[in-house]
Amino acid sequence: MRHSMTFRGIPHRSSACRESHYRGNRYHARAALVALGMVLGVSQQALADNYPSKPIEMIVAYGAGGSTDTMARIFAKYAEEELGQRVVVVNKPGAGGELGWTYLANADADGYTIGLINSPSVETHPFTRAETVAYSMDDLQPLANVVTDPGVLAVAADSPWQTLDELVEAVKAEPRSVTVSHEGVGGDDHLAALNFAGDAGIELNFVSFNGNAEATAALLGGHIDAFEGNMSEAAAHIREGDVRGLAVWSSKRMEAIPDVPTGEELGYDVMSSASRGLALPAGVPDEVYAQLLEATRKVIENPEFEAELARLNMPLDPLYGEEYVKSLEASQERFKALWDENPWIEQ
Amino acid sequence: MDILLTAFANVLTPMALLTLVLGTLAGMLIGALPGLSSTMGVALCIPITFNMPPDLALILLGAVYVSSVFGGSVTAILLRTPGTDASIATALDGYPLAVAGRGGEAIGMAALASLFGGLVSVFVLLAIAPPLSTIALAFGPQEYTWLAIFGLVTIVGVVSERPVKGVLSAALGLALACVGLDAFTGLQRFTFGQNELFDGVPLLPVLIGLFSVSQAFNLCIPRDGGVLSGEAQNLQGRSLPYWADLKRCLRTLWRSSMIGSIVGILPGAGTSIAAFISYNEARRHSAFPERYGKGEIEGVAASESANNAVTGGTLIPTLTLGIPGNAVTAVFVGGLTIHGMIPGPSLFTQHAESTYTLIVSLLFANLMFAVLGLWLCRYMVAVTRVPGAVLGPMILLFSVVGSYALRNEMFDVWLTIAFGLVGYFMERWRYPAAPLVIALILGPILEVNFRRSMQIAQWDLTTFFTRPLSVALCLLVVLSLLVPLWRRWRMSRRVAA
Repeated sequence: MRHSMTFRGIPHRSSACRESHYRGNRYHARAALVALGMVLGVSQQALADNYPSKPIEMIVAYGAGGSTDTMARIFAKYAEEELGQRVVVVNKPGAGGELGWTYLANADADGYTIGLINSPSVETHPFTRAETVAYSMDDLQPLANVVTDPGVLAVAADSPWQTLDELVEAVKAEPRSVTVSHEGVGGDDHLAALNFAGDAGIELNFVSFNGNAEATAALLGGHIDAFEGNMSEAAAHIREGDVRGLAVWSSKRMEAIPDVPTGEELGYDVMSSASRGLALPAGVPDEVYAQLLEATRKVIENPEFEAELARLNMPLDPLYGEEYVKSLEASQERFKALWDENPWIEQ
Repeated sequence: MDILLTAFANVLTPMALLTLVLGTLAGMLIGALPGLSSTMGVALCIPITFNMPPDLALILLGAVYVSSVFGGSVTAILLRTPGTDASIATALDGYPLAVAGRGGEAIGMAALASLFGGLVSVFVLLAIAPPLSTIALAFGPQEYTWLAIFGLVTIVGVVSERPVKGVLSAALGLALACVGLDAFTGLQRFTFGQNELFDGVPLLPVLIGLFSVSQAFNLCIPRDGGVLSGEAQNLQGRSLPYWADLKRCLRTLWRSSMIGSIVGILPGAGTSIAAFISYNEARRHSAFPERYGKGEIEGVAASESANNAVTGGTLIPTLTLGIPGNAVTAVFVGGLTIHGMIPGPSLFTQHAESTYTLIVSLLFANLMFAVLGLWLCRYMVAVTRVPGAVLGPMILLFSVVGSYALRNEMFDVWLTIAFGLVGYFMERWRYPAAPLVIALILGPILEVNFRRSMQIAQWDLTTFFTRPLSVALCLLVVLSLLVPLWRRWRMSRRVAA
């Protein structure tokens, strides 16, 4: 028996082990478990004590060079200073973020794997792809929101419509005559445009594009009438004057495009944005979670970090811990209700 | 003019030149390795530029970009393992040349043609970028549909020897192009619940499998005929193409460089389309079209000048409109904005100095890879003397690592190996692999743009024939199909008479 214990690598001098030696087989298993628990408990404590003792992997569920990736790499640069360890960005793009988030959800919950999650996709995939999706929001432990990039509805500078109301009038006169771009079914801009059309009681003609570049080229070339996208992508064109922002779907006007009215000001009940935050696999030790939260807070409050994001037209929107969890839950509930009522992917 | 002189002065500092050399070497290596694409090369360099002055950062990114496109041609010619889709067309004639012992010459031609194409496109960028950028906007979904059809027509040129097998290969490519989420409805098509397939069958694993892995199998399982099995017979030391060859190719070089520059301007069109269209045009205009695919050096010139001309072209909409011309320049935009330069007209006013420094540095980067390419050529050719049993496993190793690095997914590695087997047997049974890849690249472009056109035109098919640019492209397609037939008919009459 002693031999077998040695083989399992549990130290002889553990009292639990010695006890089991006298009481026979039934207790042996239980004692071994206790011993194992103690060893694990110690290592867990040790892990939290000198965390982080090795480089941290940061999962980005989109390709290198995209806006999520750019933000992640800037964040990683500042986080390295706070944590005293390398933060290595690993891209796992595919299936609209699903591959990367599945990987994150299944990673070891030891604090050495963190990841970026993009809302609303991260909370809508589990019910829009219920049959195939391999993670749920319960597998993820949200840490903090960093950026909230509101949706923008825009037209080309030479468009006849000066305001959102004029566009609505035009569609009412001739339903489905106005083409609007979005960047993928079920993405935040598609949902925003659906939401707006529903609220205004109009029917829009949606045209799907692969990403912002193609959609912007089509808008500037006059091939589509309107563009639904995110502010960080449209702001430069709006400021240059070749694109006119008709509405921004946020609660207040945005600093980067101060002349564009909010949907609320214009009388539309539409709120939409793409948010980028950080999350961990569920079950990370509390101490590690607290340490990461603190480091994240310091990065976000660093004025240099904010300045770098401002250059990319990415508005900071810090939400920490519980607050962030609640906002994700609220958003999931809202989209679930919308989905149940009128699914945007035919089933 | 002052600003140009300042730009030259900026590039000719020791630090800038050192950055240029290092960027060029890194780019050539990235391009040569299967799986490491230009996009990934530039993306990997962006964190390095975080703490560099903006000018140096742009020089580094630019050098990596242009030289990685050239780097792909080296392995395409010597081993028939194109590192990126840009050099598939190069392999068609480059590899037979290498088998015949003329690999050095082919690389020399690739370097000079790339230099030619690169320089033409940089001069276009320098001189007439703003007016040309309107081309990017003039192309709507209808025109992209025609462009994709034009690209598919080039398959005819690649398969002229075995039309039926070529069409079957292209059909397989188009079928594979149907896999993935439907962009308009969000429905899953042929994904079999594999979420790795939601974005479609990924191009690079197919490319690496069909070309690199199958070639590795070929090298390990020697058969007679056509394959480099170690010592290339009568290897010639020559690394400069013959003057007569160069003179003969001059028209092709000009034509391909213009095609490359224009296709580059179109967002989403891609390097491989430019290379294949140019290759096909060169063959069509050649006095000896039957030599193509068997080691015609003009084919290498056409493909290489076109794919490097794309680099300057893609920067035109990127710098003037803020609309990236392809995936690499999209990453480029990220690099620019990190250094406080927002792509768009302000680049030529507010940040004119940095912008012109970038453009001038591209001139030097083109010269740099050509010089390095010609100089290293004789050493690189030595790879054809390595026995197949050594080379094969090495290619296999790089292919596996490269395909994993794409998305950090084991799925892609299995896919690569599976397509390696497919490629091996396709070659054995003489099915050309290039049509499959062209169709896989063009299929989604064709489908998405056709459906976009239909949605915009409310299902009115005449939209493809009522827009002036569409009509022009349509005529090009018809001509490129009919002219060879008409020529053959005229020839046969002449023979009869």
